[in-house]
Amino acid sequence: MKFSWIFNGTLEAHHLAASYLAVWLIQGGYAAWIGWHWMHTKRPSSAAEPGLFTSEDDS
Amino acid sequence: MSYLGHVWVHLRKDLQLEWRSRDSINGMLFFSLLVVVVFSLAFDPTAAMSRQIAGGILWVALLFASITALNQAWTREQRNRVLEAQRMAPSPASALFLGKALANLLFVAIVEAVLAPLFIVFYNLHALGQGWLFALVMPLGTWALVCNGTFFAALGLRTRNRELLLPLILFPISIPALLGMMQATTGILTGEFDPGLWIRLLVAYNVAFTTVCLLLFETVLNAE
Amino acid sequence: MKRSRILGPVGFVWFVATVGIIAYATRLALFVAPTEATMGNVQRIFYYHVPTSMLSLLFPYVNFAASLCYLYWRRRDPLKALTADAVAISSAEVTVVYSSICLLTGMLWGRAAWGIWWTWDARLTSMLLLWLLYVSYLMLRKLSSTGQTHTLAAVLSVFAAIDVPIVYMSIQWWRTQHPAPVFGGGADSGIDPSMKPAFWFNVLGWAMWGIFILLLRYGLERRRQESEQDAALQAIEASLEIAQ
Repeated sequence: MKFSWIFNGTLEAHHLAASYLAVWLIQGGYAAWIGWHWMHTKRPSSAAEPGLFTSEDDS
Repeated sequence: MSYLGHVWVHLRKDLQLEWRSRDSINGMLFFSLLVVVVFSLAFDPTAAMSRQIAGGILWVALLFASITALNQAWTREQRNRVLEAQRMAPSPASALFLGKALANLLFVAIVEAVLAPLFIVFYNLHALGQGWLFALVMPLGTWALVCNGTFFAALGLRTRNRELLLPLILFPISIPALLGMMQATTGILTGEFDPGLWIRLLVAYNVAFTTVCLLLFETVLNAE
Repeated sequence: MKRSRILGPVGFVWFVATVGIIAYATRLALFVAPTEATMGNVQRIFYYHVPTSMLSLLFPYVNFAASLCYLYWRRRDPLKALTADAVAISSAEVTVVYSSICLLTGMLWGRAAWGIWWTWDARLTSMLLLWLLYVSYLMLRKLSSTGQTHTLAAVLSVFAAIDVPIVYMSIQWWRTQHPAPVFGGGADSGIDPSMKPAFWFNVLGWAMWGIFILLLRYGLERRRQESEQDAALQAIEASLEIAQ
């Protein structure tokens, strides 16, 4: 009953809902994409420290 | 050798190589002609309307034609490891870029020289504004396309889809210049507004991007 | 590692605060802000559309700054250069996300309020061109061969940054010369005070989200880079063992 506006509603109501939904989907989707790739990237070992290859190694 | 001497050597090399095969120029000429014909079929303009749209069609035709030439602008340097030799040569990298860009400018200018009478014929054009301004607009517009085009063609040298990449990155950057050249041409043809603003935009665009291209070419050449 | 001990909790708190503020701002936008006189409820799209557009104009500068840093550090300090590159790609992606939302919500609003999906007015055309520029940046990153990607992308970013003001000016002049219908009122239409809380909370919320998502993407990129460094190190060590 509360959702009758989806089928009987005006164009304005549809576009308003679609806009807000689209924003949540796009932003949430992007965050989810990042999260998915985070899970599927091999965890770098702690051996790869930033100080490893600096020019201070050359004497 | 002075800087301009280096530029001249590179320019002469490209002109000689192109003269021997004349691939680029023939390809560009025929391609532009085809584009003009297709657009005429699409719009079938009356005399009045043709003055409104001829400027746009001319530059679209030249844009697509230059893409075909620019796509293989650097392939010559890739054969026989010439590019490695260029990197090791003591001449400044920007001289190589400038020589090649000037060569491309000449090729596209030749295409324009052939295309312009065809346009006048196909669309029954005569300029209602100041026709002599074309002597400014054509070189400025062409340089805007060719300068960035030569640079971005070098960007795509070792990429997978080289021919695809060039228009993808060239078109967005060139849109202000395209707007300028098309509006200036339309202004001259229709006489309805002053093309001066657009010509100034083209000058500013060319100054800005020629500087950036010259400064950054060495970075691109030694990108690895 | 030292840095992840404070980063985790801070990040989590930031995330919770951001979602909270966005939820509050959305509630303000949908239920509290007054209904607009001429357009009705569809005007509420404004509360998402305009903050997103404003923010989408900031991230390109982050990309530009990061690209300049990359070009500067490329030969001097390669490891710092890598972090700059990670910031560059993150900000480019966030720019594309935000400008896509701006274009999409703008079209939905335009169709409902004024009956047209699109018009080639100054603002929309400039936004479309910004979107095109940064999509072309992402395409270059995707299509270029590894090893060169960072440098070429940084160079393109410099070109794009110089182009943005030129695009803006040229489109303004074009539309001054050939006026077209304008979406969303002229430049001088202000915001009614009763709408300001909803508007500014949305700006705050989406700005916080933008920072959050930028840093998240940066973290992913760094993770990938370090993973690659690991793999490269292992390959080198393996080849050294064989040589003995």
